[in-house]
Amino acid sequence: MPAAPDPSAAATSALEEEVRRHVIVTRWNDLIGSVDPVTSWGRRSSLWPLQFGLACCAIEMICTAASRFDIARFGAELFRPSPRQADLMIVSGTVTKKMIPMIVRLWDQMPEPKYVLSMGACANGGGPFKEGYNVVSGVDEFLPVDVWVRGCPPTPQALLNGLMELQKKIDEESFVGAWKRRRRPELPVPVLAADLVDRRQIPEIDLGLRKGEAQRLVDVKSTPVLRPAPKAGPLDGADAAVKEAGDRLASRIGAGRVQAAGRALLVDRAGWLEAARVLRGELGYDYLANLTAADYAGSIEVVCHLCRMDKPGPQLAVKIRADRELSEIPSVTGVWPGADLQEREVWDLFGVRFAGHPNLKRILTWEGFAGHPLRKDWLEAYYEEPHKMFSSRWKEGRCRPGETRVRWGRNVVYPDGFDPATVPAEDSLPADAGSAESRRLLVSMGPQHPSTHGVFQVRALLEGERIVKAEPVMGYLHRNHEKIGERNTWIMNFPYTDRLDYLTSMANNLAYAVAVERLAGLKVPERAEYIRVIMAELTRVTNHFWSIGFLLNDLGAWFTPSLYAIEERELILDLFEMASGSRMMCNYMRFSGVAADLPEEFLPAARDLVRERLPRALDMLDRYLTKSEIVRSRLRGVGVLPKDRAIAHSASGPVLRGSGVAWDLRKAEPYSIYDRFQFDVVTDPHGDAYSRFLVRLGEIRESLRILDQALAQIPEGPVIEKNLYLLRPPAGEIYSRCENPKGELGFYLVSDGEASPYRYHVRAPSFVNLSAFAEMCRGHLVADVVAILGSIDIVLGETDR
Amino acid sequence: MIRPWGFFMLRGMGVTLRRLLNGYWQGARRAAGLAGTKTHGAGATGVFTVQYPEQRLPIPERFRVLPVLIYEEATGEVRCTACGICAKACPPQCIWIVQAKGEDGKTRNRPEEFTIEANVCMNCGLCAEFCPFDAIKMDHRFELADTVRKGRDILNLQDLLVSSEYHARIHPKAAAKEAEARAKKTSPKPAAG
Repeated sequence: MPAAPDPSAAATSALEEEVRRHVIVTRWNDLIGSVDPVTSWGRRSSLWPLQFGLACCAIEMICTAASRFDIARFGAELFRPSPRQADLMIVSGTVTKKMIPMIVRLWDQMPEPKYVLSMGACANGGGPFKEGYNVVSGVDEFLPVDVWVRGCPPTPQALLNGLMELQKKIDEESFVGAWKRRRRPELPVPVLAADLVDRRQIPEIDLGLRKGEAQRLVDVKSTPVLRPAPKAGPLDGADAAVKEAGDRLASRIGAGRVQAAGRALLVDRAGWLEAARVLRGELGYDYLANLTAADYAGSIEVVCHLCRMDKPGPQLAVKIRADRELSEIPSVTGVWPGADLQEREVWDLFGVRFAGHPNLKRILTWEGFAGHPLRKDWLEAYYEEPHKMFSSRWKEGRCRPGETRVRWGRNVVYPDGFDPATVPAEDSLPADAGSAESRRLLVSMGPQHPSTHGVFQVRALLEGERIVKAEPVMGYLHRNHEKIGERNTWIMNFPYTDRLDYLTSMANNLAYAVAVERLAGLKVPERAEYIRVIMAELTRVTNHFWSIGFLLNDLGAWFTPSLYAIEERELILDLFEMASGSRMMCNYMRFSGVAADLPEEFLPAARDLVRERLPRALDMLDRYLTKSEIVRSRLRGVGVLPKDRAIAHSASGPVLRGSGVAWDLRKAEPYSIYDRFQFDVVTDPHGDAYSRFLVRLGEIRESLRILDQALAQIPEGPVIEKNLYLLRPPAGEIYSRCENPKGELGFYLVSDGEASPYRYHVRAPSFVNLSAFAEMCRGHLVADVVAILGSIDIVLGETDR
Repeated sequence: MIRPWGFFMLRGMGVTLRRLLNGYWQGARRAAGLAGTKTHGAGATGVFTVQYPEQRLPIPERFRVLPVLIYEEATGEVRCTACGICAKACPPQCIWIVQAKGEDGKTRNRPEEFTIEANVCMNCGLCAEFCPFDAIKMDHRFELADTVRKGRDILNLQDLLVSSEYHARIHPKAAAKEAEARAKKTSPKPAAG
């Protein structure tokens, strides 16, 4: 029975209420109560976001700031590059372990009152990359978040909705409350050791490890199986092209040192450097398209895919085997400089040392990281099973998120013998930082810099304003794409490829579909081929519009050219959304076709756009920028990459064509139905940043030409042979490449006949194109770095994968 | 023809000036009822901005945000049979299903629990694409911002359910096609001969 109310208590509270209402000044708060609405209104109508973007969501954030959605209507258009001038941090995208120290530091440097808006599934809780080893499961593990915006990615309208939620929250704040937030302490910056260490957790970790508690709360039932490497045999059984190259190699480096393994040459470790020189010199394989590795029982196999620029023909795959324990092979950076970053990646992820590499450091993870994650027996903190679907999901699928599977409640697991006491107080600066006596100065640009196009860092050693040495530093968006890809079934990788180069998801889809179709021998219906070409070329147009706009942004023209370019891009995104359901993450292609036929309103709208509006917009951009004296003086002669150096550095796409090499995979190795269309390969001989700008402009025109033909010829018919969610390509391997807007996007796939790839490697153009970056920067002024970087056109989702 | 230095710069500035003035000009024409209100597509000119939240972009039928589960408006029956195909197709493995069991201990073709980790879901739509029962579909609701995280990122069966009528409203063409296919499946086949 409820207790009877005490009448005297009710009377007291009523009296208190009266006093509060009519005797105004009883507390300090009441005196300035009328101030609250005014200050809150002022604060919420002039939010200054911090200008930094992390991943795919950042692109939608930029679109929110552009003319169509116009964040200025909310008074939040002043994106500040300095944390000291910003009061809103939009965490736009995947927060990686490598990046979180910077984010916390930025937050610490922002003045109060400050707000954090977490944008997208990744920032909210890890998102699709949550299972990866370098991803933080939600930024709220480290920062106090005010508003969460959901979606993957949230559309600009969804972000504006989040901003309005934040404004509502600020409205409810009192002036004094906001003032008191000044006392919020700085947050301790997490440290990158063997794994990410949150300093606040150190006592707990110390105690736990000392007691010898299991770090994984759920037992690992099964680990990935190591397959034997493909059988090696005599050259006689091999393909004609392989045999010919193999015989010539054997005659130079010794017959016992060259074998055939499948469709590849297997070169002995000791003879590899000599073999590389012969391949490059005598046999004319001047272009190293791809270098990666695969983990097999007993050996790690490094594989190179070579081709000749003068004679398009079949690629030559060359393999070198290294021991899993004592693995060292000679570096070929001296033969093909383009191997530089790719060899570092193999060292980082597979633990194969390259003897003679000038700068063999970790590239995607960090120095001190425990283990080499792409080895099959290396298991991450949230590891469940070798392949998807995980058995915990269905029939008895009681939800158990990753955080609950690890003792620390985080995506971290520490190696044996890890002692938290040894964790340094803070990330130490590199040893070569300029000292007081030195004339040289080490400048670190990024990873939070408005002109690095994402979380990319340039460490530049300067003498005055001139660059002595520039080193690209990456991995801040390393989302473990390949590790996850080897657990995924073949079809599951489609939506992940969307998030590689998130500006060109349709083209990524196409490259992956083509690779698997070649591996599995699938046919594509006619109409689907046309749809694919239309989508891929529209993507090229959007990408080049974007990249030209942002090149100018970097040059100091500010947002205007980008705004014009983004307008046209928005209209194409509408088409993508209409056909696939998403503006950016299209996930539209499938093996042997596309996911769904075009909606009926698509073709008229696309024809309208391609024939009327886009040519006009392009002419305008041309008239606006191309001959402008400022553009020319900022770009001409900057970042020159001569023809031979471009080839040597394995540059591709507009970077290669901007150096005068007429190499376009749509012509050199036609895929899909590109051989049916009339178009020219745009080149420019000067090899500077302006050339690359011109090439992009020209390629938009050529793409419009292809689009015009494709839109006229597209036939009726089915759009897919058979849409299966489970595909098992026959055992084998392939390196398949397509001409993406940024360059050669290749997939190296090894199938063991199972439902997931045994090896899944992405040869990302943004990543490989960066190997020429240091050379292009040398001797230029520091202000030119952004022009050079903008002209290479990188996207970090693809660079870091 | 050789132009004096700065000519092309001025010409470029002419482009921006023209765009600026054109915005006002088209705005005035629109206000006077002389121009259409078209802001998108080839024929559109002038100011391009969607005045969200007062205005919204039209949402195409295939637009996808988070998945939802469909129940029949008429009977209240949940379409899902807990067959697990969505969980098998889900790339980030954010779908968790507990199959219902009857009192006899045998499994029933319906879910007892159905959970989606919304902060892992990549909105890819593969679950909806491969569901053989039209039971899971991609929702259009995108205004999902919130000041609370805990509890809103793990969606359970009750959170996920929407009516078949809602599905038909946001996906009119697809829903009509599905209904047709279902009708064909259930109707008796015409006798041969």
